[in-house]
This record gives sequence, C-alpha cells and structure tokens, in this order.
Amino acid sequence: MSAAYLLRRLAAILIVLLIVSLTVFSITQILPGNAAVMILGEYATPAQLQALELKLGLDQPWYVQYWRWFSGMLSGDWGVSMRLSQPVAALIGEAFWRSAALALASLATVTLIAIPLGILAALKRGTIVDLVIGLFAYIGTAVPEFVTATLLLVFLAGPDRGFLPAGGFAPLSEGVGAALSHVVLPAATLSLILTAHIARQVRSEMSDVLSSDYIRAARLKGLSERSVVLRHALRNAMAPAVAVISLDIGYLLGGILVVEEVFAWPGLGRLIIYALQNRDLPVIQAATLVLAFAYALSNLVSDIVIAWLDPRVRYA
Amino acid sequence: MQNTAIAAARPDARPALEARSYSLAYETPGGLVQALKSIDISIPRGKTLGLVGESGSGKTSLAWAIMRYLPRNARELGGDLLLGGESLRATSKSQIADIRGARIGMVFQDPSTSLNPTLTLGEQLAETLIRHRKMSKAQAFGEGEALLARTGITRPAAMMKRYPHEASGGEKQRVVIATAFACDPECILFDEPTTALDTITSRQILDIFQRLQEDTGVAALYISHDLALVSRIAHDVAVIHRGEIVERGATATLFRNPQHDYTRALIAAAPRPDIRLSGPAPDIAAPTVLATQDLTVRYGGRSLLQKLMGRGEAAIEGARKIDIDVREGEILGIVGESGSGKSTIARAIAGIADFNGTISFDDHVVRERGAIGRSYRRAAQIIFQNPDASLNPRQRVGEIIARPLKLYGLAKGSGIEARVAELLAQVRLPADFAGRYPHQLSGGEKQRVAIARAFAARPKLVICDEITSSLDVSVQAAVARLLVGLQAESKASCLFITHDLNLVRQLAHRIAVVYRGDLVDLFEAADFDAQKRHPYTRALLEAMPPPIHP
Amino acid sequence: MRDLLRHPTGLAGAVLLALIAVMTILGPLIAPYDPQQFHPLSRLQGPSAAYWLGTDQFGRDIFSRILNGARSTILFGLGATMAGVAAGGAIGLIAGAIGGAVDSLIMRLLDGLLAVPDLLFTLLIVTVLGGGSGHAMLAVAIAFMPGLARIARSTVLSVRTREFVLAAQARGESPAYVIACEIMPNTIAPIIVEATIRVSFAIMLGATLGFLGLGAQPPSTEWGLMIAEARQYMFRNPICVAAPGVAIALAALGFNLLGDALRDLTDPRGRR
Repeated sequence: MSAAYLLRRLAAILIVLLIVSLTVFSITQILPGNAAVMILGEYATPAQLQALELKLGLDQPWYVQYWRWFSGMLSGDWGVSMRLSQPVAALIGEAFWRSAALALASLATVTLIAIPLGILAALKRGTIVDLVIGLFAYIGTAVPEFVTATLLLVFLAGPDRGFLPAGGFAPLSEGVGAALSHVVLPAATLSLILTAHIARQVRSEMSDVLSSDYIRAARLKGLSERSVVLRHALRNAMAPAVAVISLDIGYLLGGILVVEEVFAWPGLGRLIIYALQNRDLPVIQAATLVLAFAYALSNLVSDIVIAWLDPRVRYA
Repeated sequence: MQNTAIAAARPDARPALEARSYSLAYETPGGLVQALKSIDISIPRGKTLGLVGESGSGKTSLAWAIMRYLPRNARELGGDLLLGGESLRATSKSQIADIRGARIGMVFQDPSTSLNPTLTLGEQLAETLIRHRKMSKAQAFGEGEALLARTGITRPAAMMKRYPHEASGGEKQRVVIATAFACDPECILFDEPTTALDTITSRQILDIFQRLQEDTGVAALYISHDLALVSRIAHDVAVIHRGEIVERGATATLFRNPQHDYTRALIAAAPRPDIRLSGPAPDIAAPTVLATQDLTVRYGGRSLLQKLMGRGEAAIEGARKIDIDVREGEILGIVGESGSGKSTIARAIAGIADFNGTISFDDHVVRERGAIGRSYRRAAQIIFQNPDASLNPRQRVGEIIARPLKLYGLAKGSGIEARVAELLAQVRLPADFAGRYPHQLSGGEKQRVAIARAFAARPKLVICDEITSSLDVSVQAAVARLLVGLQAESKASCLFITHDLNLVRQLAHRIAVVYRGDLVDLFEAADFDAQKRHPYTRALLEAMPPPIHP
Repeated sequence: MRDLLRHPTGLAGAVLLALIAVMTILGPLIAPYDPQQFHPLSRLQGPSAAYWLGTDQFGRDIFSRILNGARSTILFGLGATMAGVAAGGAIGLIAGAIGGAVDSLIMRLLDGLLAVPDLLFTLLIVTVLGGGSGHAMLAVAIAFMPGLARIARSTVLSVRTREFVLAAQARGESPAYVIACEIMPNTIAPIIVEATIRVSFAIMLGATLGFLGLGAQPPSTEWGLMIAEARQYMFRNPICVAAPGVAIALAALGFNLLGDALRDLTDPRGRR
C-alpha cells in the first residue's frame, strides 16, 4: 500500500462527499418554505423577509449558495442551527461522539459474536448447531430495529422489572456502571440484526473456503484439523467477512437514527430526526455529510484491513 | 495368513500400492450409483501405473478412496486398498492423518487452486515437514529449500518467501511436487498434474517427476485422460471406463495391441499427425481470402476517466505486427500456448477486438474494428472454445441456428425451419434438437450446434478458437472430423487455432506458430520436422508427447 | 416450482408467504371485528377467546387490525421494491451495456448516493415529499435505486463478456438486439433473487417509517404505525406491540427465505 494509493482514496472520498452534498443540497432546496420564513416566523413583514434573504444570500443563484455552503463545510464553518440557535459544528461535534460510542460498542459486540458464530456453523455444517445458528440468523435479519428496541424495553426495562434504564445517556463521568447500563439496550438492538446478517455471511464464506481445493490439499497433507481450520481456512474467510462488515456499517449508521430516537440517546441520529421534523436545514445538511464521511472512511479502513489479510490484494 | 507372513519377511516384494476387487458407490436421491466396480491394480516400488479414462470414468474416485477422503454419501461395497500390504480401509482416522502426506503424497490438477493464496509457498512446503518429520521451523525451511532445488527451482530461498500469486504455474506445480516428495513417501498419486499447464512446462514437470522417481524409487499412480502423455511416463497402463478397468498391461504392449473395444476407440480418437483428416492443400493459384498486415492488438488501455482517477493498467500488446494469409479452401493452423496471442488474433479478425494494422478479407480492406461491416461479418464466422459459454442458455437450439439465417436474410418463412433441420442433419444431430435448450445437450452436441450456427451463414472463413479443447478425447476427434467435412464441402477457408500440435498437423495445410504475441514461424504442414524450424517450434515439438501408434 | 418446495428453506418461505398472501388478499374479509371499532369496556386486554390477540388502548381487536394491516404493509414492500427494481435495473442495464465514460460517471454518482444510509436517504426524501404511505413508498424506491442499479450493472457486466454475447457481436447484431435478446434474459434470474430479498428490507423500512410517523398515517392499521400508537401502553399490555412486531418479522422472514432459496436454485454452483 503506497502513500499515493491513500491519497487517491482520500480524493475519491472527497468526490463521494461532493456528490452527497449536491444531493442533500438539492433535496433541501426543494423543501417548501425558505430559511428566512422559518427564522422570522409567519408574521414577518415582506420587507423584513427581503432584508434577511439578502443577508443570508438567498437571492443568489443556487450554485453560488451551494458553493458558499460546501466550502464553508470544508473550512469548518458549518453555519448556525435555525431552531436551536447554536453553531451546527458544536451541536454535531457533541452528538457525534455519543453516536460513535454507541456504534463502536455495537460493532465490537457484533464482530466478537458474529464471526465465531458463522465459523462454528460452517464447521458444523449440516448439524443441529448449524441449524440453530441458521434459524437465529434468519429470524434476526427479519426484525427491524424499532421492533427489537420496543420488545427489549417491554421485557427488560418495564416499570415493574426495571433491570435497565429505559433510555437516555450517562457520560463516563457519572461512573462506568451508569454509562454501561445506558448503553446496553441500544447497543443490543443495533447488534442483533447485524450479528444475524454477518454470521450468515461468514458461514457462507467459510463454507466456500472449507470446500476449496487448497483446504482439501491441506487435509491430504495429513495436517491436523486444528491447523487446517486456524492456519489455512480462517485467514481466507476473514477478508470477505471484513468486506461484509464494512458494507453493514452503512446499515448500522441508518439504524442509529431509529435506536437513538427510541432510547432517547442524544446522538447524531436523534439530532437528525429532530432536524428533519423541524426542517432545520443547516443541521440536516451537515449531519448527513458527516454520516456519509464516516461511512466512506470506514470503507477505507476496511479495505486496508483486507489488504493486510489477503496478500493478493495489494494497492499500488 | 501364511501369505502375509511371507510378504512381511520380504517387504520389497510387496507392491507399494494395491487395490483388490475394490468397489465404491455413491448414494444419490435416485439410488446407489456405482463409481468403481471391482478394481484391481498393483503398483510395485519404483514403477508408475497410468490410469486412463475420460471424465466421469471413476478415475478420480479411486484417488480419493486411496487417500481415504470420500464424501459422506460414498459407500464402499467391497474389496480392499493396501499400502505396502497394510489395509487402508482398516486404518483409524488418526493413522490416516499420519499416512497422508508422509507415506502417500498427492499432486493435484491445478496448482493455482491447490495452494493456499494467503500462505507463502515456503510455509506450505515446510508445514508438511514439521508435521511428519518433526522438524523445527528453521530445519523445515532449510530442508524445503533443498527440496525445491531438487525440482529445478533456481533460487529456492526466494521462492520460499513468495505467495502463490507471485509464482508461475510451473513454479507452483514444482512446489506441490516438492511437497509430495518431502517425506519420502512410498507412493504418490498424480491427478492430471499437467492439464492446467502449457506444453513445454508440462514436459519439464514430467521430467522432474521421472528424475525424482529414479532417485527415490517411489511408486506412482498417474491419472490422466491423455493417452500420449501416459504412454510416455507410465510403465503399466490401466484403462478405466464407467468404473471398470477394461484393460491393463505393460504400456508398450497395450498401446501396440489393444484388446478391448473401448481402448481401441480411445487410441483411434487420439490425434495422429500421420493420418490427415483434411484433403490436399488448395492450388497455389487459389485466390487469397484473408490477409493481415501488421495486425496489432492492445489490451486493457485506460479510459480517460480512469486516467484521471489514476487507475487501470497500462496497455499490453496481445499480438504484435502479425502478417498471415489464407487461401480459398485452405486450413491455416495457428499454434501457441495460453497467453501467446493466438486467440487475440482470432478475435481481431472476427471483429470483436480493436486492432491496428490492415485486414484484407474477401473484397474488404479494413483498418479499424468500426469499419467492419455486415457482409464482412457474415462471411467470417467464429466458433469458440467452450460451447457452454458460446450458446445463449435462454435460447433454444432452433433459435440459435436460425439467427444468422434471419440476420443475413438467408432464408425466409418456412425456409428457415427447413434450413435449420438441414444444418442439424449436417452436424449429425437429430432434427428434434431444435426444440431443446443448450443445457439439455452434452458438450460435444453443443459444440456441433455452434458449428451449425457458423456454417448457417455460408461463410467464406471459419475461425475456430480451440474448439476441441474443452471436449473429451473421443468427442474431440469426431468434432474435428465433422469440421473438416463441412469445410471441404463448403470450400470455406479456416483458421484453426489450437495448442495441440498433433491435432493441428492432422488438419492444417499450413501452420503458424505464435509466441508471446509474435508470429515466429509459418510453414507447410509437411515441413514440420525440418531443421530450419524456429527454435520455439522445435521446443514445442520436443515437448509434445509422441503420438500413439497402435 | 417443485424444486422450490423440495428445498427446505424454500418450503418454509413459501408456507410463510402463502399465509401472508391469504392475509393480504382476504384479511379484511376474515377479520372477526371491524378494526376501527372501539370496545371501551375491554381495553388493553390480553388474549382471550373473544379477542384472540387481545385489545389495544381503545379496545380495538388487535387480531383484526393485524389482518387488516397486512395489505398496507405487504403492498408497500412489493410496490417500493418493484419501482426500485424498474428504475435501478434500467439504470444498471444501460450503464453496464454502454460502458465507457457514461458507465464510470453513473457509477461514481451511485457510489456517492450509496454513502448515505438507506434509512436516512428515505427520511430526507419523505421530508421533502411530505409523509403518507404513497410518498414513503416512493422514497424507499428511490433509496433502493442505487444499490439495485449496481447489482444490475454487475450482472450485465458478467454476462456481457460471456462468449455468446461476443458471438452475437461477431455476427454483427445491433446493440439493441444484443441487449434485449442476449444480455437481458440472462440477467433476470439474479435480479429477481435480489428483488425478493429486498422486499423484506422494504417491508422493514416501510414499517420503520410508519413507526416514526412519516409513513402510513392514522387510522391506517399499518403494523409499524400500530406499534407507534401502542407504545405508551406497552408496559401494561405488551401484546399491543409484540403482535405487530412478530407480524413484521414473519413477513420479512418469508421473503428472505424465499429469496435465499431462489438464489440457491438459480446459482449454477449450487451452494448447498
């Protein structure tokens, strides 16, 4: 992997951001009611409106407005929230880390459970173990986050059986126990569907690897089953597994919206839902771009991991 | 009992590997399907038994049975398999793990799939030594280098550090052979070990094997569909057909005097340069149908966007400045190894690859692919290697053959149906095949359909790109004969592209040899053996197993 | 079809979908009660002989509401997927068949769109269009389009280099013939497989939108909306939320199983 490759990938991410920003910008442009009306309210006089439109640059052609906004995004000037009257960068900055904590907790759970589960199913192919894991995987992928979240709340956080808090967020400063107890339910919700999906993919990749010619060759060299699985099969199955996880991060980032909303987790997802409900354009635009950036970046990281796992993949 | 005791007293008299009336079947939803019927073979130390059969004959099942690597639905119906007199069927799972790789080695068909892509060649060679000869890692790598050196690898230390994708097919197969010989086994199983390799590389691999066999005295079971190849390396031959060994004997005797009908048919199907399939070459005065001048084909150029993104590969020249010409009614053979550019030339002339240079065909002179028009395309038809891929799986045979008729307006209305039936008859397929889909046909039948489609257009030139190489031996000969018959009847010219020297010498009037994109030799078929041939042509000829003569 | 029923996954999927099809077609007819009718004396009841799945906060029969809601939930999934497949398939087919700079440009654009999570993309579009199940369906279709276009394109690319397509080009067939008669028929099977699995995502996305109040609107009995409306009372009568949740999961599961079975059966390598 060369520096030139990294540079090129970062340039590609910039192009993705450009496309996302254009899309989001044009979507928000179509939104009825312009920013001036929203800020001043319905009873503003035409003169006041015109003055504010001039000040906000709303009389300019769309590409001028777009460029002003996008270059602002790149240089760190993300504008001011129309509803919360706070700088968008500060709002998103705070929310982002809370969401990142939730996402990483889920991702770690998923990776630690799904990969061993998928491998186990592939090794025990055709047995009851495989069947049970397969059933779990099928059912898990069929339950949307809001259903999982609601059911977890009913059974684990009800008023009469309140093992866990029904929602909200506790920073680490309030103690590890409090922080963890708040993260359990949202992270479990996000993990369920991804664990099911990834376990299934890993099983299928691992099965393919186990039935490959080189695994047969390894067995026919008299190597122990342990060595065949750990030394020969695992590494070959890991690269595609990482690719699947990387794609699922996109799904995870979508799931954050629902889960944060249900569990009142004050992160990026909840901020986006709030902004959407209140048509807070600067927040919608910036937050969408941040999510897309996080996703593109995570794809780059996973490509690097794949290159490290599979010697055939060498980026020049 | 007594026999065993005597054998134990003189271990060298025992065959290294034996099968005694061994039978095997597979359980399928349709019932038991017998794969091996009462197989008897015996291979003494230092000898090679060639096991010859076509696909589905059960030859590979025998190898799996010996390695005790049978699928779950396999049922052993009787008999025994013996390694140095010990029953392999009676050994436990852990004993088998000690035998595999140590007392029986195995060399597989395709080294690019039988080596693990994520481990270095050295690791894969050394692990056998660590497992069976209890070496330390350092010892194993040292020994591994020595083993690689014995297989003719010039810089073994560097090769040990490479991954499979960084080595050539021949180098990889040498590593696999070194691994098979690593623990000084009593017996090695070869499962078509050269099928995936080029002619010259195959020859080198076989030479290495023979030298190592002389050094070590290992017994070998060599499984192949290629009679000529087996006749070169095996001491004894067994011919297997539908799970039964129909004939066995010393190699020379068996090929000179085959007893069983199936053996005779197999031998008759093997290409023999001394028996010409095609008629005499057309008169020197016959008009030239096709001529290329400076024909060059580049692959994998980058698009503008890819250049901007800094991606894509620089262009590679698949064929460089090729000048060939074909006269009316002539068959021009083009011979080369995989990647030599022979198919590239075919594709340029067929109008499906961009090229530079000039193609003069019929009364057309074209300098770029876009200039190739309909009447050119009608007159030049191409037949591909793999009929599975060249027939649209969603169209019936009748539609496939009728398409050129409709496209070029060669028949109308009920005339189409009649012509399709006529074409099917010409390729010796029953008329009701018109209603079938390609997947309902065998490989040979599909290739006949592809031939019928090409001749439907009444072409002046038929381009045959390795049209027999995906078929079984006995089918190859029939397809080649059919093609020559149709070609002679229609007086079309033919470009016959192949890697099989023996076959091309039966068919072609003249032969062109391509090597790494260059045309290196062009000569009359009869002049094949002449001393003035290009060194590469001579090397190819030298590497070919000699044709079999009964 | 017979192969499908012999395939264990396929059989399970087919049985589930048959059940769901009956609910979708006959649901309102076989429901024991009017789904909107209040039974003030029997609010938030558990399952009983009278109310098989209990009642909600207004005393409405949950079983009848689920039977009624099947139609909006399932048709949503099918409609959104079909629209997405039509649009995405066309784009992918064109990009793959034309190739070159047009293809690269379209793919770059799709890459950009794929960087936005499906749900967020859907929400953005719904916000523009306004809520309601018609708009939500359109939004899901648009959000599916880039992914489906990618799959259609890669299928086209794998078919395009097959030799029968080269043979057609060598014959001098027109590009229209090559696309319509040689490439298209061979891309349909993989696209159908993908579409079947997508229906289950569409059902889940539609229910999520209903839950967030951006999809189906009251008094619809769409299952996601049912959960949203009953959330306040879920601790008192868990079946209010559990029943529609299970219904959504079963519907999604059915399409998932069917799609997987179709993939197994159409994949020449035969994974199982």
